[in-house]
Amino acid sequence: MSHRRYTPYLFILPALAMYALFVVLPIADSLRMSLLHWSSPLLPPEFCGLDNFRRLMSDSVFWHAAWHNLLLLTGSLLLQLPLAMAIALLLHQRTIARGLFRTAFFAPMMMPTAAIAVLWQYLYEPESGLLSSVIRCWQSDFVFPWLSDPGSALLWIFVTICWQYTGFHMVLYLAGLSTIPNDYYEAARIDGANEWQICWHIALPALRPTIAISATLSIIGSLKYFDLIYLMGGGLPEKSREVMATYIYRLAFEQNQGRYGYGSAAAVCLFVLALAVVIPLQARQLRTAS
Amino acid sequence: MKKHRTRTSGAFLLRHLLLLTFLVITAYPLLWMVLAAFRLEGDAQLRPLALPAPWTWQNFAQVFTSGSFGDAYLNSLMLCSGSVLLSIALAAPAAFAFAQCRFRGRHALFMLFLLGMMIPVHVTLIPLNRLLGNGALNLKGSLWALVGPYVGFALPITMLILRGAFAALPRDLLDAGRIDGCSTWGIFRHIAMPIARPALATVVIFNFLTMWNEFAFALTLLGPGQTTIPLALSQFKGEHDVQITLVSAALSLVVIPLLIVYVFAQKHIIRGLTAGAVKE
Repeated sequence: MSHRRYTPYLFILPALAMYALFVVLPIADSLRMSLLHWSSPLLPPEFCGLDNFRRLMSDSVFWHAAWHNLLLLTGSLLLQLPLAMAIALLLHQRTIARGLFRTAFFAPMMMPTAAIAVLWQYLYEPESGLLSSVIRCWQSDFVFPWLSDPGSALLWIFVTICWQYTGFHMVLYLAGLSTIPNDYYEAARIDGANEWQICWHIALPALRPTIAISATLSIIGSLKYFDLIYLMGGGLPEKSREVMATYIYRLAFEQNQGRYGYGSAAAVCLFVLALAVVIPLQARQLRTAS
Repeated sequence: MKKHRTRTSGAFLLRHLLLLTFLVITAYPLLWMVLAAFRLEGDAQLRPLALPAPWTWQNFAQVFTSGSFGDAYLNSLMLCSGSVLLSIALAAPAAFAFAQCRFRGRHALFMLFLLGMMIPVHVTLIPLNRLLGNGALNLKGSLWALVGPYVGFALPITMLILRGAFAALPRDLLDAGRIDGCSTWGIFRHIAMPIARPALATVVIFNFLTMWNEFAFALTLLGPGQTTIPLALSQFKGEHDVQITLVSAALSLVVIPLLIVYVFAQKHIIRGLTAGAVKE
């Protein structure tokens, strides 16, 4: 479209200013603060080079936090995504009340994550919670401290994550399945293929782009866990409750912490990790999108 | 042939059975929550799986009188509507320029915006707390503190969706506007924006819900006395931890309106959530 040379910049400027002030500048400020020794908001900060990063590398809570991000990601890729795909495959065929199923499976995505966390804390109540109550139907003295058991709490939180996100990935797979022309299925049936063979040889290859998208979203999302972990992991010892984002928050804002410099170093690590993950994954998308 | 048919109907049955199982797993916790909201406290402890006996409204009444949910609803409503409007006012012209104009640096700039969608917002918690708390903008404790971060982080997805809509505008229409003497701004304002209405609806609904559900910024940047819905809910849980029935009533008051919105706006919500992904 023809226009004066500076016109497009005028269109972009207000958005860019807002974005720079509240997204780009804070990230740059994190980089700066990560080089400061600043253990309390009351004390003046001192430059300390890479000292914060050196300490972070030998901080076992930080490593545990990163490990938990990785565990949750692995769980999502190996359990949640296949489950979502399986449900999509079940639902894609002729189904009674299909719209109802689809709507219901996606519904948890609508809830604030904080509300999901509050709800599931009650579902996991050791005695009167839904899970313990259901299990007591078979085993009359069953009591289990789901969310305060350091060995397994992360697993139970992961179950909640699946409850929240499986429906979303299922919708992605349903959209992918709907792009397969009906002729393919019919041709396969005429050739005598059974449902399994159709899934394996037609649906799965056609879903490859969708699988890539849903895995990419899981990977990017796995670094963003905060609300659920922060709210549900309260009863756990330090080492078994943190992911990277909650650790940053706790270092800076929890009682008696105020460690802005050290927390910023952890934030810089999270940022670099996010870039390292996003750039190779999204390189093609970023290029074609722009 | 007959054998084949019985096998298919067996598979048909099995498939619906599996789907029903997943339905129960998804929906039963929500049903349990709503039922708990109608129970008396002792009932919830002793018979958590049965129907409430007797049914009572008192939990809802107590949430309204004791909690800060009235304020929280009002706060969230003002904050989110304002932030949504601002995010669109800023993103729409930019998205139009990215879609329809050629200029130096457009690829790099657009990529810079897209990155904001992929970075965890928590990287900015500490510097934003300084900027908005005791730095240049002293907003700590006021709702205004959330507008900047909410709008800033809403810009990427808003731009992505709107740019897609603006790029699909028919060329003839834009040329016709040009011939009639419209400026670029005039074309954007009077031709592009009205046609992009469906995409605008998607962005409004999606951004509103994202902001409505946001927790980390609200937790960090709001001072005592100010609260939004997700924050109010977690605080309410903290204060009334042992009263499952009371917290369930609060939860129901937060979740049920959202589920009703969802049933009507399903299409837009799903489109918004998948927009970041489904770009081949």
